[in-house]
Amino acid sequence: MQSIHRQTVIGLAALLVSAIIILIVIPTWVSSPSNVRNIVLSPVFWPYILSGMTVLIGLGLVVTGFYSSENLTHEPNDIPGGYRRLALMGAIMVITMFALPRLGMVWTSMLIFVATAALIRSSHPKTALICAVLVPLALYAFFAHVASVAIPQGDYVRLP
Amino acid sequence: MKFSKFSALGAVVLGLATVASAAEYPDRPINMIIPFGAGGATDISARTIAEPLGNAVGKPLIMANVTGAGGATGSVAAMNAKPDGYTMVFTRVGSHSVNPAMKATLPYTLDDFRYVTVYEINPFACAVAADSDINSMDDLVAKAREGGVSFSSSGVGSGLHLGGVMVMDAFGIEDPVNQVTHIPMDGGGAAATAVLAGTATFLCTNSSALASFVANGQLKPLMVTTAEPVVGFDAPTAADLGKPELEQLVGWTGIAGPKDLPDDIAAKWGEWMQAAANDEEFVSRMEAVGSIINVMSPEEANDFIRGQYSTFKALVDRLGMRIEG
Amino acid sequence: MNFLDNIAAGLSLVGNLEAFAALFLGVLIGTIAGAIPGMSATMAVALTLPFTFSMEAITAILLLLGVYKGGIFGGSIPAILIKTPGTPASSATVLDGYPMAEKGQAGKALGMALWASCTADLISNLALILFAGWLASFALNFGPPEFFTLILFSLTIIAGVSGNSLLRGALSAMLGLLLATVGLDLVYGTNRFTFGDPNLMGGLNFIAVLIGLFAIPEVLSMVWEPKPHVGKTRSLGKNSVTFAEYRRCFKSIVRGSFIGVFLGSIPGIGAAPAAFLSYSEARRKSPVKENFGKGELEGVAASEAGNNGVAGATLIPLLALGIPGDVITAIIIGAFMVHGLQPGPMMFILNVDIIYGLFIGLIVSSVFLLMIGSVAIRGFKYVADIPRGVLFPGVLVLCIYGVFAVNNNIFDVGVMFVMGWVGFVMLRNDIPAAPFLIAFILGPLLENNFRQAMLMSGNSPDILFRGPITWFFWALTLLTMVAIVRAGIRATKDLKKKNI
Repeated sequence: MQSIHRQTVIGLAALLVSAIIILIVIPTWVSSPSNVRNIVLSPVFWPYILSGMTVLIGLGLVVTGFYSSENLTHEPNDIPGGYRRLALMGAIMVITMFALPRLGMVWTSMLIFVATAALIRSSHPKTALICAVLVPLALYAFFAHVASVAIPQGDYVRLP
Repeated sequence: MKFSKFSALGAVVLGLATVASAAEYPDRPINMIIPFGAGGATDISARTIAEPLGNAVGKPLIMANVTGAGGATGSVAAMNAKPDGYTMVFTRVGSHSVNPAMKATLPYTLDDFRYVTVYEINPFACAVAADSDINSMDDLVAKAREGGVSFSSSGVGSGLHLGGVMVMDAFGIEDPVNQVTHIPMDGGGAAATAVLAGTATFLCTNSSALASFVANGQLKPLMVTTAEPVVGFDAPTAADLGKPELEQLVGWTGIAGPKDLPDDIAAKWGEWMQAAANDEEFVSRMEAVGSIINVMSPEEANDFIRGQYSTFKALVDRLGMRIEG
Repeated sequence: MNFLDNIAAGLSLVGNLEAFAALFLGVLIGTIAGAIPGMSATMAVALTLPFTFSMEAITAILLLLGVYKGGIFGGSIPAILIKTPGTPASSATVLDGYPMAEKGQAGKALGMALWASCTADLISNLALILFAGWLASFALNFGPPEFFTLILFSLTIIAGVSGNSLLRGALSAMLGLLLATVGLDLVYGTNRFTFGDPNLMGGLNFIAVLIGLFAIPEVLSMVWEPKPHVGKTRSLGKNSVTFAEYRRCFKSIVRGSFIGVFLGSIPGIGAAPAAFLSYSEARRKSPVKENFGKGELEGVAASEAGNNGVAGATLIPLLALGIPGDVITAIIIGAFMVHGLQPGPMMFILNVDIIYGLFIGLIVSSVFLLMIGSVAIRGFKYVADIPRGVLFPGVLVLCIYGVFAVNNNIFDVGVMFVMGWVGFVMLRNDIPAAPFLIAFILGPLLENNFRQAMLMSGNSPDILFRGPITWFFWALTLLTMVAIVRAGIRATKDLKKKNI
């Protein structure tokens, strides 16, 4: 046996998550009023049941992992730098959340479009660039003027 | 030299900016937050007033449903918006008088808003299923004393929740919170269905939500909370039954902005609302669903909402209904 | 008045160009809106409502119904083409529709979706016309205890969409159930897992979770392994669905339609569970179970039959009792009331011409759906030809707009991103996403109905066994559980044999 089976790892992760939920998250972030007449009706009852069942399933995964012959490991990536690109994508998402209310949705989307297209090495860079400008504008026109949704405009340049 | 040029430029830009903001309000569409879901009483009311109000404003009104947590999500969004009059929120009895009175950890209070109007009042009515052996409030109260009576609501902290307790309390039930079981449902439609299907004994909600069930003979009205009888409801008023204090228990819809909304903008809303309410089509449409159109000025609206809030707050404190968590 | 008179009266009401034009326009608007992720059928109906105020009552209601029906079908288009369900109801369609598109059979999948939708729509409308009164009185027997057992049974669908490992499917479901507890507590109104953020008080937005779980992981996979030019051909496939294929799936379509009619006539369940239940039943009955989830035509047929079967049936409680079954019918009730009509038993006496006018309009709407749907499929087929290096950033931007538009809240975009990462980790570890979604939909219903039942009975569990309906669902749940366990044991044995 060269290493622990993937299923066991998933099971251990499930156990860890449910332990955190039971021990820390539920006591801190679920408030149960003092006048609860019956445990069954308490706001914490259902979360405890669910995390308890997650523990059982986690145990099941750990145990079955030892016997499983299923191959869950993926083939290695052909193109190196996968984690770096994922990290960059994560950064793009975080920046998006900051930029949306300040820059406005249209301008932010244009930047996201370009950044993502570059990240996945678009085979049609020129088309991607043109679409990066046109798609957000077209979506804005549709949502703001046809569907009358208040698309965030940002602090700088307002669109009609 | 360079610096002075820069500051001169800055001054020009600033000047432009002030000119821009001094331009006649409104110079672009106004974002109107509806803190409840599509199809609800607030939504229908808001979308009905959108047209006449938009004509009065002269700029489009963009209706945006921001749903969640009994109106709290949308109200918070409006509270945090810039007080420039371009983000306003529709206020409702549940989100702006019952919930603030009941929930301690609500992320806003009445002081976080500037109320510019209340334009619609819905009388509340209490009803039971048509096949029930309860025929009057007295029957209901007698049965509640025995125990086993329940009422449905559209959720904790809604007007329906407080309404049920308030009515029971007014009719002399001691400790109504424990004597009468509250069964919260998911929304006002489900609350009425619960009474129809026998899940709950009665409910008290705005008459518009009950009108079709009453007209169809599926629900039996026991009482309405206005001073005048409500058309289509064959039931006594609260005053007839000797409980005039229940007249505080009405549903309403209004409009508010963030708390720093300037006076001139608030005043403008007052004018627009007067103009919009003169629209006959709007009035007849709202009256068709059982509402009373009565536009309040910003000051009247503020007094009305605070009056209702303090009545509810006193009741909540007396009965220990405050939600602390 | 007898039946023929009623039909004549109805015909005279809808027998004008205006009514049919409104219906046609409605189906068109709905199909387009449904095809845009985030523009759900609900939103489309809500947006159309103010325009109907000035119309004749019957024209207004037909327009709204058209939007509703078009929207439910339209949602299947992006579900199949870009793995982004346009409406929650079409999330089951993703399971087999998207793999088919990957195999270059998008045309076939879309064609089957359309035919299944129209068939189910027709069955649903006929059920409404023939059994409205009976089904409505049956639906009123559903209180919290009955709902609880029905939803408990529905959760067994998870076994059908778990893929290779039941345990990993169950884990996925547990995560979905846990996530669904975020928000305000139903009974006490206290905060649960809100971490002090008012945006979390309302719970996580369903569409944001849905799109995050299905569409964003595809984008992230692309980032992980950027091969925009390689990969399978993703053309529409020149072939559309054949009659033989339609006949093969016909049984599943009819079964799905009836599941849809049944769940649709009970207020408060909605189209998404119906689609999943229909899908899992089709899989259970199929001789080629293992093909489900990998691009099985019958899976698409069953899901679309399930969700369209709901569309006509939700009008049963609306017309017969005046009860809205879901948000869309709640808006449509608003339209009735604005026109001074009060849906309910009295309407069958006072406004019988309108009722029959509606019936005629509904039948015609199935035909319109078929016409507009075929055109829409041809129009949207170009999506399948877009190079992936342009398509995926486009999908990402589209999702941002769409998710924002659902609730006008930027926070939901963040929820979508986070769920995208969760979905990506699940994808990499072969943890299926569908059980997560089903659990997320059904979780709050299960908990709330349980607690409502407990409130009704004063904490006595006896109420969960209070009548034939509850017993029926308990038995059904038990039988399904036994079948699942037996299938699981058999699968383990097979696995062991293979190893030896």
